[in-house]
Amino acid sequence: MREVLKTGLILFVFTLTAGLILGLVYSITSPYIGKAELNFKLTSIKDVMTDPVTGELLISPEDLPRSLEELEQKIYKSDDSGILYTSTKYGGRVHSPAYLFTSRDDKEIYVLEGSAIGYGGSVVCVAAFVKEPGGFRMNALRVISYSQETPGLGAKIGEEEVMRRFYPVPPEALEKGLRVNKDAGVVPTNDSERIKYLREHEGVIQTSDIMTGATLTPRAVVNTINTMYEFLRGEVDE
Amino acid sequence: MSDVKNLTKGFFKENPTFVQALGMCPTLATTTSAVNGLGMGLATLSVLTLSNIVVSLIRKVVPEKIRIPIYIVVIASFVTIVDLIMHAFTYQLWRTLGLFIPLIVVNCIILGRAEAFASKNGVLDSLFDGLGMGLGFTGALILLGSVRELLGSGTVFGVPIWGKAFNVFTMILPPGAYIALGMLAGLFTFIGIKRKERQKAKSNTEKVKA
Repeated sequence: MREVLKTGLILFVFTLTAGLILGLVYSITSPYIGKAELNFKLTSIKDVMTDPVTGELLISPEDLPRSLEELEQKIYKSDDSGILYTSTKYGGRVHSPAYLFTSRDDKEIYVLEGSAIGYGGSVVCVAAFVKEPGGFRMNALRVISYSQETPGLGAKIGEEEVMRRFYPVPPEALEKGLRVNKDAGVVPTNDSERIKYLREHEGVIQTSDIMTGATLTPRAVVNTINTMYEFLRGEVDE
Repeated sequence: MSDVKNLTKGFFKENPTFVQALGMCPTLATTTSAVNGLGMGLATLSVLTLSNIVVSLIRKVVPEKIRIPIYIVVIASFVTIVDLIMHAFTYQLWRTLGLFIPLIVVNCIILGRAEAFASKNGVLDSLFDGLGMGLGFTGALILLGSVRELLGSGTVFGVPIWGKAFNVFTMILPPGAYIALGMLAGLFTFIGIKRKERQKAKSNTEKVKA
């Protein structure tokens, strides 16, 4: 009995010491972790609100949030569950919160984070939608989390060259619903003008030439965009 | 055994990956590129070195019966510390390595060195052993990552080497990991055999001369 208690006490001392040290390290690193997460989020928001053609910010630089407090002021809608909308059609989700900004020319810009299931798990994206007279235009998109995708295949979704294939998308193409070229039965082409035409007029996103062997991951991104659009149509148009 | 030998044995002679075949899970999973191999190797190196030092320091107060749970507590604590530090200061690398950092806890090289070496030797020797094994593991991951990245993506550390036409996609997939690992382990074994033969021949010559 005494031996058991002694052994238990030694184990307790070691785990207690480890717990105290970890608590100390966590309290030291916690502010830096928060800062790193926030910086990443702010950078993603800035990126999606940058015009992909001119490279200029859609909003005035003073309106760009630089801290958590400034970002929280831009919240359009939030939900404690962490999810604002789930699409039964596309299987995607819109995460909470959604942000609302105003462009230099007084247009509403909705910045949403959403996800859908890729090959290995959730593929998370951030996208900005500009409200225009004809509907919503998706300005730009960033794929921010794809850690379960196969490196060299699905994980290519995080590369600039691949992400660039998904935007900008005008209202008419969003209304049709985006599809990857494999699902649309469109043979891949090398002609960049044709790739742009297919995206902007048919809602067809070509990735099969630069992401050979990985269809599920770009399909997850497309489903996320469609879910975000569905959310905005139901939420903002009402 | 001298300190320098403790440091250098992990590089080649007792290389944890190619000779001892330890830590295969992270070796196969994270070596899709050279930079991933480097990141994983450095994270493992720091945990291995620190846990070796602590295990060596506490070896006289740890009862035999509960030594393994205590070693696991020590290793898991250092892995959590490394994970928190990487999350705070190397955010992009932390995102890339993802789940593989917490999995360092179950890397058998670390527990293996704690049990086989650090629990029986002094702090300095354990420090050198951890450093040597960690550097050997890091080198192996970089080598494997470079070979797979070159053959699979045509780049090394992101630097283009040849055109896409030469790329073999299999090399960045799990089968490619097994193929590359098998070939490199074979190469290490071949070099090891040749070295032994040379040493044997040398000692025979010396005997004849004597």
